[in-house]
Amino acid sequence: MIKLENVTKIYKGEVLALQNASCEVQRGEFVFLVGPSGSGKSTFMRLLNKEEDADRGRVYVAGKDIGVLPGYKVPFLRRNIGCVFQDFKLLPNKTVVQNVAFALEVIGHPRSVIKSKVPAILELVGLSRKMHNYPDELSGGEQQRVSIARAFVNRPLILLADEPTGNLDPNTSLGIMTLLDRINRTGTTVVMATHDRGIVDKMRRRVVELDKGQIVRDQSRGVYE
Amino acid sequence: MNLRLDYVVRETTSNFRRNVTLTLATVITVTISLTLLGAALLFRDAVDNATVRWKDGVEFIVFMEPDITAELEADIRGQLQDSREVLEFTYIDKDEAYAEVQELLGDSPELVDVITAERLPASFRVKPTDTLPERVDRLAEVFRAQPGVSRVVTASETIRAIEDLSSGLSQRVIIIAIVLLVAAAVLIWNTIRMALFSRRQDIEVMKLVGATNWFIRVPFMVEGLIQGLVGGLVAMPLIWLTNNYLSIINDDVSLELLRGFAVDPSRVWSLGFQMVGLGALVGTLGSGIAVTRFLDR
Ligand SMILES: Nc1ncnc2c1ncn2[C@@H]1O[C@H](COP(=O)(O)OP(=O)(O)O)[C@@H](O)[C@H]1O
Ligand SMILES: [Mg+2]
Repeated sequence: MIKLENVTKIYKGEVLALQNASCEVQRGEFVFLVGPSGSGKSTFMRLLNKEEDADRGRVYVAGKDIGVLPGYKVPFLRRNIGCVFQDFKLLPNKTVVQNVAFALEVIGHPRSVIKSKVPAILELVGLSRKMHNYPDELSGGEQQRVSIARAFVNRPLILLADEPTGNLDPNTSLGIMTLLDRINRTGTTVVMATHDRGIVDKMRRRVVELDKGQIVRDQSRGVYE
Repeated sequence: MNLRLDYVVRETTSNFRRNVTLTLATVITVTISLTLLGAALLFRDAVDNATVRWKDGVEFIVFMEPDITAELEADIRGQLQDSREVLEFTYIDKDEAYAEVQELLGDSPELVDVITAERLPASFRVKPTDTLPERVDRLAEVFRAQPGVSRVVTASETIRAIEDLSSGLSQRVIIIAIVLLVAAAVLIWNTIRMALFSRRQDIEVMKLVGATNWFIRVPFMVEGLIQGLVGGLVAMPLIWLTNNYLSIINDDVSLELLRGFAVDPSRVWSLGFQMVGLGALVGTLGSGIAVTRFLDR
């Protein structure tokens, strides 16, 4: 599903963010990307949805070399990749329903599809009762659920979660992990960057560790270190 | 791309509401520049129409009696041919004269009617070797006394002055109008940039979930298009008003030399539509460039 071959990423010609990294993730896997801040976790993810391009090496997503993907096709790549962030990136002037519907609307789904899909996904993430609230009326955990609903409503092949629990307390984080686990069980490949030792150790999934841009460990059913 | 109309309408109106003052300023600038441009072009057309007889060094015109005999006409022609003071002359028969009037004022029969009677006589358009006004006057005087000639009209210094003045004037107005139009494009570009900036979060999310650039672009371009279009539509009646002033000049009988100082209404219409089109183009381009640059960052 995802393959990096000897990928090097250098920002602005000087910051070495990834160095000769190779890694393959199968369909349906759940992978933790761990490592200290600045080790290249976010860069790894940004390469996958072509927010950044590799300077050397190749990146494959769903069997396609995305390095040669023309710009006009990038949106279609992104429709297969859901993204979740530490800061949620919800639109403050839209309600929960509107936030999720917006993601479908701007990729051209008809209203009827939106009307049926959005409530269903909000049910899945457990936010049916707060559908018409605005993000600032929700707790951090609830906001993250909305953002997961938005990322998953289009049933992407891959879900990228960049420190999704970074702003949440341990209990709330566990709830989010349960949700991501459920999503993974539907067959969606999940890649999650985190510093959260407790979560990694509890879940016992594949762990890829980065340090200064290099992959220093790749372990199935691993722990944080 | 499946762009839904209600989506575009909603996004565009919300952008307008966010930036009412700026939008208004932009529309007004578009209107002013297009009105000036339209008026200048109309004025230039009118002057052209009024002075078409005086093109290419024609300094005086010998109009003959409508019922002149062939002999008398041949006499005058011979005299023109023999005169060393005449460089060149053209014979305009009744049909040509009428055709010219028709061409100038095509779709306005009232005007054609008024002018026909005056222009129907056949005439010689004369280019003298020497264009000094006194010499031209003296030469014209010779033909004025000729039997069979109804009148001789000279391109007095006045008409030349009017021509020069008007071409200089309309040139300057056109330059000002173009500068204003560029300013309008920049204003539109800036309005759209501000709209983009205030919606940068939305755009980030749109890109993230895989909206195409065109999908993101269209509502903003529609916004620019509407600003240009509205500016142009407001300019249209103003251009009509300008045309009415031209007609007033034309109706002033004392300005006999400027007869024909008017523009065919269909020309005014087409000019109006051209200005609307230009406004729409400027609006779409200004906003299109703004969004493209924003998305390419
Ligand atoms: N847009 C950028 N421009 C320049 N340097 C960047 C940029 N993004 C990240 N970096 C640098 O690249 C390195 C890796 O960053 P990142 O991938 O964000 O690491 P992590 O997510 O593990 O904290 C860091 O040194 C960071 O400062
Ligand atoms: Mg990061």
